[in-house]
Amino acid sequence: MFVSRSMTRRVVTIGPEASIFEVQELMAQNRIRHIPVVEEGDKLVGIVSDRDLRSALPFRYLKEGVSPEEQERLQRLRVKDIMTREVFTISPAYTIQDALLMIQNSKVGALPVVDEDGRLKGILSVRDLLRAFINVLGIGQPGTLLCILVEEKLGQLKKIVDAITEMGVGFGSVLVARYWEEDKRAVFPYLLTQNVAQVKKKLQAMGYTLLDPMQWYLDQLPEEDRPPDKPKP
Amino acid sequence: MKRTGFLYDERYLLHKTGPYHPEVPERLTAIYEGIDQGGLLEKLIRIPAALAEPQWILNIHTAEYVKRFEAACRTGKQMFDSPDNQMCAQTYEIALLAVGGILEACRQVMEGRLDNAFCAVRPPGHHAEVSRAMGFCYFNNVAIAARYIQKQFGCTRVGIVDFDVHHGNGTQHIFEDDPTVYYYSIHQHPSFAYPGTGREFEYGRGDGYGFTKNSPVLPGQGDEDYRRLLERDLFPAFGDYKPEAIIVSAGFDGHRDDDMSDTKLSTEFYTWMMQQIVDMANTHSRGRLVSVLEGGYCLNRLPELAHHHVEILLNG
Repeated sequence: MFVSRSMTRRVVTIGPEASIFEVQELMAQNRIRHIPVVEEGDKLVGIVSDRDLRSALPFRYLKEGVSPEEQERLQRLRVKDIMTREVFTISPAYTIQDALLMIQNSKVGALPVVDEDGRLKGILSVRDLLRAFINVLGIGQPGTLLCILVEEKLGQLKKIVDAITEMGVGFGSVLVARYWEEDKRAVFPYLLTQNVAQVKKKLQAMGYTLLDPMQWYLDQLPEEDRPPDKPKP
Repeated sequence: MKRTGFLYDERYLLHKTGPYHPEVPERLTAIYEGIDQGGLLEKLIRIPAALAEPQWILNIHTAEYVKRFEAACRTGKQMFDSPDNQMCAQTYEIALLAVGGILEACRQVMEGRLDNAFCAVRPPGHHAEVSRAMGFCYFNNVAIAARYIQKQFGCTRVGIVDFDVHHGNGTQHIFEDDPTVYYYSIHQHPSFAYPGTGREFEYGRGDGYGFTKNSPVLPGQGDEDYRRLLERDLFPAFGDYKPEAIIVSAGFDGHRDDDMSDTKLSTEFYTWMMQQIVDMANTHSRGRLVSVLEGGYCLNRLPELAHHHVEILLNG
């Protein structure tokens, strides 16, 4: 659950005095988009992203090349000239949830992981969070997803889990989606079986509503697409 | 009329699965009875089942896996690798009999003694991985068959069409880096169906990149959607590839009355689809086609589906 477990430890870094072409090459070689800038002792002083790089290079450079004078000027550009100095960082002791919320709020693609002394310990990118999310969903292993609409009251999940467990079917994950209809939750059990027809029949016999797969959503709908709340009785 | 082989053996009924299990022996008897209707059975050339020689199995599965499977059966285990794989003491031997019968069908088709064949076997195979049983499958029947055809008859291009409603993860993984076998599958979208693979962006890897193709179908979709995808994805791909033989993973579980899926195919659509596949075999593969049963669980529909399937093979 901690950032230290999910971060990439072997970080590609660069010094502030390196040329921007070195950055370009490092990014291409390692297929990454964020490189922390460190001084001696792994002290973080900035971060340079592919976007910083693109803003520094004139459009003509990529398209048709530039004049020798322009080329020379670009050669002289250092990492420290284009990097972001006010870096959003995260502590290794933070959690994945912290990281998800921080990335959502800061709108950055990666967070350097820095200890109390400001030393770089790793980097946590959107890619690392995706990997964690794929793991949580359980979709790396064979199974079938169902979606059960339940009333929001205590004990619903227990009944569902018990009923499925009694059939000898294992769970890859169970997600509960909110922002569904008012007073309702959608429960998504990812079942490690091909044999779901029997499970569906049993749940229906227990009075549960199985949602049409084309109506499933895991995400909170954007404000403008959300159905108006039902008036309270 | 073509010389169509038919593989069926009563011993295939001896593989017993547990309670709540849809992969039951009655599936095969339903298929047999359907084919027996209207005198179709007399027009078919029966293929004898025989135990497969281990070398052909070992071309696909690891020796460790085969041993483990055999030992599990011998020691009376009722489950192997996954709770989906319910079995009995005979399962190992029956799985060997299924493979052996299919290889005999392949041999006769490749030697020109038969034009094509339908193999009504249990257990099914397309989910079986190199060293893991899953999704009711133990030996990957069609993968073993494809390699057999290649090694024994020197084919450099074998095409597999898998229209079971579930993705054939095993078959895809076995051949994903191999350009000498083209794997095409059309199935319910992996986000909504077992086993969760077979996404549209899976094209194979390494040398095999471009020789795997998947057409996922959304829940609720039916004949027209399938037709559109086959015309867009399968027909042009096999037109370019020109397989020397076609193996079909024939699963009938996408039928609207089959409760193992949310797709809505009609019986007529299965007929149309099989006719197209046979036409492809006639055009590119000198008619050489071996169809192998995978899924299909609606006992009321299997008779008619199997009947039409075989009728198309006979009429070519």
